[in-house]
Amino acid sequence: MKAVGKYITVLRISLQNAFVYRSNVLGGFVFYIMFMFVFFNLWRAIYKSGEVAGYSLVQMVWYLCMTELIMFGCRTGVFFQMNEDVKSGSIAYQLNRPYHYVLYQFFNALGGMIFNLLLYGLMAIVIGMIMVGPIPGFSFSTLPLSLISMVLGMCINFFFLMALGLTAFRLEDNTAFYLIYQKLVFMLGMFIPVEFLPGWLQTITRYLPFSYMTWAPARLIVAFSWELFWAVVPVQLLWLTVSFVLTMGMYRYGVAGIQAHGG
Amino acid sequence: MNAIYVENLSKVYRTRIKEEGLQASFKALVKPVYKEVQAVNDISFTVEQGEILAFIGPNGAGKSTTIKMLTGILHPTSGRVSVLGLDPVRQRRELSYRIGTVFGQKSQLWFHLPPIDSFVLLGAIYDVDKKTLNKRIAELTELFELGELLQTPVRKLSLGQRIRCEVAASLLHEPDILFLDEPTIGLDVVIKQSIRQLILRMNRERGTTIFLTSHDTGDVERICKRAIIIDRGRIILDQPVKRLKYDYLNRKIIAVRFEFPQHLEVPEGVKLEKSTDISARLSVDTRICSIDGVMRWLIAQGGVADITVEDPPMEEVIASIFQQKEGKSQ
Repeated sequence: MKAVGKYITVLRISLQNAFVYRSNVLGGFVFYIMFMFVFFNLWRAIYKSGEVAGYSLVQMVWYLCMTELIMFGCRTGVFFQMNEDVKSGSIAYQLNRPYHYVLYQFFNALGGMIFNLLLYGLMAIVIGMIMVGPIPGFSFSTLPLSLISMVLGMCINFFFLMALGLTAFRLEDNTAFYLIYQKLVFMLGMFIPVEFLPGWLQTITRYLPFSYMTWAPARLIVAFSWELFWAVVPVQLLWLTVSFVLTMGMYRYGVAGIQAHGG
Repeated sequence: MNAIYVENLSKVYRTRIKEEGLQASFKALVKPVYKEVQAVNDISFTVEQGEILAFIGPNGAGKSTTIKMLTGILHPTSGRVSVLGLDPVRQRRELSYRIGTVFGQKSQLWFHLPPIDSFVLLGAIYDVDKKTLNKRIAELTELFELGELLQTPVRKLSLGQRIRCEVAASLLHEPDILFLDEPTIGLDVVIKQSIRQLILRMNRERGTTIFLTSHDTGDVERICKRAIIIDRGRIILDQPVKRLKYDYLNRKIIAVRFEFPQHLEVPEGVKLEKSTDISARLSVDTRICSIDGVMRWLIAQGGVADITVEDPPMEEVIASIFQQKEGKSQ
């Protein structure tokens, strides 16, 4: 019980910190609106009428609203923060404490993610309603299920980012990993739905984790079906396990060979 | 019982070296060249429980690397370490409950939140129950005169105020050993003095073992009973501060400025290091000549506009240790 309480306190303090450190979010709002505005106009020009690969214009705009929400929700900076901590040597403060570093970082980020999800969530709803109005056939009764998928997607993204960030313990420069990762997340689900990709790429994508962070939850929100739910959520759970185990492994490997800078 | 036991400890870093230019970048990609840096080179020492030890040396001497090995963050390349009877690498978590650390140049407090929030978080991390934690916070608030600082966001605190909170934060779980890495760096004289007094009080009242690194000779003179001097990864001196003071910290630097040109005939034990018509830098050997005497003599010259008394920098102290050692061996 005590062990859990420890991490709950971490979550509480990080949530408090997120509320105090609001300026970060305001900058994000501007980007979010800009991004949505550009792509709303783009899609409106592309869609003359009807559907593309099973998405109407309304669904397409809401799809983007949701994938953007997930990505902005994950903006906790865990990757760059870890790099910074290793380079500045502050990592020394975080490693010699009686907790598990990976869990500490997770609960620490969770505060920021909950905060982001609430603020950007409101933003997403407002933008979507203004641009295209409500989603046809949307049902509030299945929203909690889609939200579960969304939280799973964010957690998968978090642990993969952390696993990449942990390479900083051993490598001097690991930003290339981050850039490649971001591009893959962007192309395989965030920017366009998986259904838009050529057939062969769709097949590959199904075996990679990226679309389960953005595409799966966003698709559930714009066109919920039980069939889809049971097809994606177990896979998400699988990827969550994989990313968590990978992160734990990277931590063990990293901490044994950490090169602490700063004297 | 020994609080800290270190035997033949070494740490070698392997860093990649890369020459300038694009071609060299490609070469480094295919065939990286590594350079080995011996940060700590075969050191041995012990620290008794309740002792205050100064671990000193110039920048880059291996002080922080040693602290990081003692606290389990860095794995030693070779040698044996035991802290409170525990192996810092294999029993890091167990050890972490019993030690506290303060790194003067880094912060453990949440920048945007008041220190009290960080205290509550640290209390939870170290499994201190609420009642005990509140009692501890009250005690430390009184001892460190934190008062309303506790409710002020850390970003609004001055460096001195922040360091006081940092030291308090590392004492919440009542550690047996407190590691202080450059706790007074960048602080002004008055704050330095108050931090030093706090450390002394902690040691007296709770019997906390103090392991302090610094490159400030003043820290050593005023707090510690024993000093280990390390340079380029090796221990070059391990002796009581009393002796160190007599043998090596026996000089003060006095800088003086006059209102009108003066010609100084310095008394015995005083060396004129630099001088212009209206200013001078004097090195005083305190074994021969008291500071009091030199000050009286200076005042007697008339027209003193400004005086500062300083400790010689650590680099000079180490240089003089080397000189004297070489002198003895010849």
